[in-house]
Amino acid sequence: MKASQALMVMVIVGVITLVGNFIFSDYVFDPITALPGMAILVVIAFAGWGISEALNRVLPPIVFCSLIGIILTSPWTPGADWILSHTTNVEFLATTTPVLAYAGISIGRDIDKFTAMGWRILVVGFVVLTGTFICSAAIAHVAMSLLGMG
Amino acid sequence: MAAEEKANNGENQLPDFMYNWKLHGIVLVLTIIAELIGLHSFPVGPGTVLILPMLYALVIGIFLGPRFLKVASEKDMSDASPLITLSILILVAKLGTNVGPNIPIIIESGIPLLLQEFGNLGTLLLGMPVAILVGFKREAIGATFSQAREGSLAIIGDMYGLDGPEGRGVLGVYIFGTVLGAIYNGLMGGIVASLDIFHPYAVGMASGIGSASMMSAASGAAAAAIPEFSDEILSFAATSNLLTSATGLYVMIFISIPLAERYFKLLGGTDNSEEAEAGE
Repeated sequence: MKASQALMVMVIVGVITLVGNFIFSDYVFDPITALPGMAILVVIAFAGWGISEALNRVLPPIVFCSLIGIILTSPWTPGADWILSHTTNVEFLATTTPVLAYAGISIGRDIDKFTAMGWRILVVGFVVLTGTFICSAAIAHVAMSLLGMG
Repeated sequence: MAAEEKANNGENQLPDFMYNWKLHGIVLVLTIIAELIGLHSFPVGPGTVLILPMLYALVIGIFLGPRFLKVASEKDMSDASPLITLSILILVAKLGTNVGPNIPIIIESGIPLLLQEFGNLGTLLLGMPVAILVGFKREAIGATFSQAREGSLAIIGDMYGLDGPEGRGVLGVYIFGTVLGAIYNGLMGGIVASLDIFHPYAVGMASGIGSASMMSAASGAAAAAIPEFSDEILSFAATSNLLTSATGLYVMIFISIPLAERYFKLLGGTDNSEEAEAGE
């Protein structure tokens, strides 16, 4: 895939997100207000994608997108406040909706396999949440005891 | 919206999924519908049932195909797949900008807090055998390698594709967690705290698993169960939640996924023979 094409897709998704963001924010962040923030996010996403491609995808693009986002907004980065003042105009949940729309359409092909998971996904879901909670608590508890905390 | 397909004119060298304007149009309409319905939450017991706009987008999207609403064609459905991995990068960028300002808190958070991040591996340890037992094939990897939040979707989307078996697994648990996670974690936070097995701080730390609603429910319930430590529980939970959103992505990519693959083989999980059979 060419860089210009990847950028094109991100711009399209960015525009869709701007519309969703406007509605999600109860019409507070209109597309013009949120445009600079959205543009910043698209640039970060594109840069992350580009770095991953340039490195022959040794690491997935999400690693770089996340890292760039973190670095640009860390308190030690000059201009972080300016970037944040714009990116906060794009609600996180608004960025999830178009992604899940594409995902839904794509899953439509295997709708039977998806619904076939049925009750099983409930069982697994409960175990997953329980497992995370209990293991995290156990590790923290043991670590605190070993370090003589608490 | 008639299913007018733009014919793919042979020598076109561009991957035409990007210029499937009908597909982007559908996504725009889905997004608008989903956001207009909006976010709804219903208080239930110690937590809330949360219905986010993206769930409508996902569910309506699933039913758009030729068999149901007949809005999306086979081509639209296959064109959507590579677009997920690109569009999710914007979401990941946004996640990153949420973490950056909190880096100092994370650095100061201390060893127990850092170590308990690996508690997320407990998900895999307990979840995988259960998933295989109930008959999952490679769905088990997506369903149990993490607690299935947005970052997990990005990882599976990137490494396996969200429309494969691993994608079905992670999306299933993601939906489960989004809708029922807050209420279940609320119950669990209260119960585990009142059992007095773990130090109250440890329960607080465990409450932060990278989802604001689950964290609030779990730590709120735990704080109510042990009121004398409520401030500490709430603040450890919030810090742990930040930590998960910062480190979670990297722990998942470099540890959880490789581990999940090995564990899956170790437990004798079977691969999906795609196309041959449905789900079962």
